[in-house]
Amino acid sequence: MALKELSSLEKFLGLKKPNKYSTQGDNKVPVLQTNSGPAVGLLTVCSHLVKEAKRPELLGTSAEHRALVQQWLEYRTTKVDGCSREEAKTVLKDLNLYLQDKVYLAGHCFTLADALMYYGLHPLVVELAVQEKEQHVNVTRWFDHMQHYPGLRHHLPPVVVLRNRVYTSGHH
Amino acid sequence: MTNEDAQGSTAEEAQSKKGLKKQQKEAEKAAKKAEKQAKLAAEQQGTEEDDFAKDQYGNSVMIQSQEKLDRELHRIQDLTPEKADKLIWLRARVHTSRAKGKQCFLVLRQQQFNVQALVAVGDRASKQMVKFAANVNKESIVDVEAVVKKVEQKIESCTQQEVELHVEKIFVVSQAEARLPLQLEDAARPEVEGDEDGRATVNQDTRLDNRVIDLRTTTSQAIFRLQAGVCMLFRETLTNKGFVEIQTPKIISAASEGGANVFTVSYFKTSAYLAQSPQLYKQMCICADFDKVFCVGPVFRAEDSNTHRHLTEFVGLDIEMAFNYHYHEVIDSITETMVQIFKGLRDRFQTEIQAVNKQYPSEPFRFLEPTLRLEYTEGVAMLRQAGVEMGDEDDLSTPNEKLLGRLVKEKYDTDFYVLDKYPLSVRPFYTMPDPSNPKYSNSYDMFMRGEEILSGAQRVHDAQLLTERAVHHQIDLEKIKAYIDSFRYGAPPHGGGGIGLERVCMLYLGLHNIRQTSMFPRDPKRLTP
Repeated sequence: MALKELSSLEKFLGLKKPNKYSTQGDNKVPVLQTNSGPAVGLLTVCSHLVKEAKRPELLGTSAEHRALVQQWLEYRTTKVDGCSREEAKTVLKDLNLYLQDKVYLAGHCFTLADALMYYGLHPLVVELAVQEKEQHVNVTRWFDHMQHYPGLRHHLPPVVVLRNRVYTSGHH
Repeated sequence: MTNEDAQGSTAEEAQSKKGLKKQQKEAEKAAKKAEKQAKLAAEQQGTEEDDFAKDQYGNSVMIQSQEKLDRELHRIQDLTPEKADKLIWLRARVHTSRAKGKQCFLVLRQQQFNVQALVAVGDRASKQMVKFAANVNKESIVDVEAVVKKVEQKIESCTQQEVELHVEKIFVVSQAEARLPLQLEDAARPEVEGDEDGRATVNQDTRLDNRVIDLRTTTSQAIFRLQAGVCMLFRETLTNKGFVEIQTPKIISAASEGGANVFTVSYFKTSAYLAQSPQLYKQMCICADFDKVFCVGPVFRAEDSNTHRHLTEFVGLDIEMAFNYHYHEVIDSITETMVQIFKGLRDRFQTEIQAVNKQYPSEPFRFLEPTLRLEYTEGVAMLRQAGVEMGDEDDLSTPNEKLLGRLVKEKYDTDFYVLDKYPLSVRPFYTMPDPSNPKYSNSYDMFMRGEEILSGAQRVHDAQLLTERAVHHQIDLEKIKAYIDSFRYGAPPHGGGGIGLERVCMLYLGLHNIRQTSMFPRDPKRLTP
């Protein structure tokens, strides 16, 4: 799964030559051999790819912005990956609150945080019923934005998002 | 004297001191008691003496039809300012009673109507009478003679807001026990999530166990009056369309809808079944030249489903009619009838609808004229557009039915629609296949608020085709021989459908559990009351 994600990310970043990855351990943590030694772990590899593609702005433009991006990258690997159904509910609820007044996860532009959170949340969002998608209206809006972001969605099937609200408030 | 002796004598002294004290205390107590008793006796004497209103109140003897009283008992709903200063009798329940000093406020109730009544110490009522009135148990039935009085300030808490009764006589005709299994006020209270006051509501099982009291609430009265209205409108509309009402047997020899969900009863030396639907008999009536028939009767389904919309026994409203050339004539007839019912409820039962909405708020029921009819394939396309994955010939699951209902509501603004041309494989053996596409059938379902209320179709009226279909569904031909035979002597093309009375009421009112619209519901876990 992680390998597919990395391949999509490479395509998005416009890297012409696909890298060769290996995996490590039971959790199949991706490893990339670089000039300065092995990069181990999804986040490390992704950061390396971003640098390779010469798109450092995707990791944040100011110190504060960079910290925010890192925070969301860590949220992805700690809270989203491998979470149970109960935990998924909490994740969606928290995200819905956070995204109430934001277009992107970190700052005012697209960053690696948006990309990796989109990849990570896809398996959760694809399972949601129409009513749940309407309940978490902000997550759905952000998600729909991401899956239509040019060049981002490669290996993932699109999730249907309805234009109009079908469940009026107070529906059981 | 020895020390012992000395101690002994002081002990004695001490004892006698204690003894004295004790005696004194006891004497005081006795004196107090005597005083109290004397006071009580004096009071009682006093009360007996002062009770000039002795004959104006009390517990009636049990009415065993001892006499024919020529007395008019008034209806609370007729108590208006026009009747001011009139002295009237009425019989009602004590809804609440509250004593306040020299007055007692009662709320008297008849079904959905209630009025405030006042018993006040004065030249008509004594202190004892006021006390008696305040102590009458809630829900007791009382006969009251009172003067109707116009009030300056509207009494907001009663249905009769402009009058109150000044009671001159009050007799208890039937006393209720002091402890009621549930309080009517709690049973009629809307359930609000996160109510800070934490006021009690009654849960469903308690209501159903004590149905007699639960049915007294204004909401219950309204629900079942509306239900009676549905039956009445069904009969009225169909009779006006030339349909004949028939009665079909409920003890039958073969399971009509399939062997799984049928109740077996012992029938003398053999077994029989309780009818799962009047299907077979409706059709036989058509073959017997009754042309257009309907029947209202119980339906028994032994489905072990504990859901919000299943009962083991419910009332089926069934229609069957011969048609000329196309089964859409049948669909049109049924939808016209349903629309007439909706209109009739909207126009003639608005009071009841509002009463139910007070406790269970919901959106008013919306429908189109003519009724919206979508093809099954269209419904599937709408669901696929919303991200649902399903095959062309798959039946609709309940969540998908509900989602489709929401999508249709959003697109067409209607809570009632027909889905036509279901796949043949998911319908019973007697459904006529679609002539142009063998995968589909001339069958339809109707939905209210996204939930199915009617399943119907054009029936196979040809004995040979019917036999083929039965064989295809692996049904024992011996068991349905009489049914197949009825089509051998000339049978017109016909179709129909059946609706569940309780489900229609539940969905029309926007309620969420079918037990609310069944007076004494039956489900796998409930056989009483």
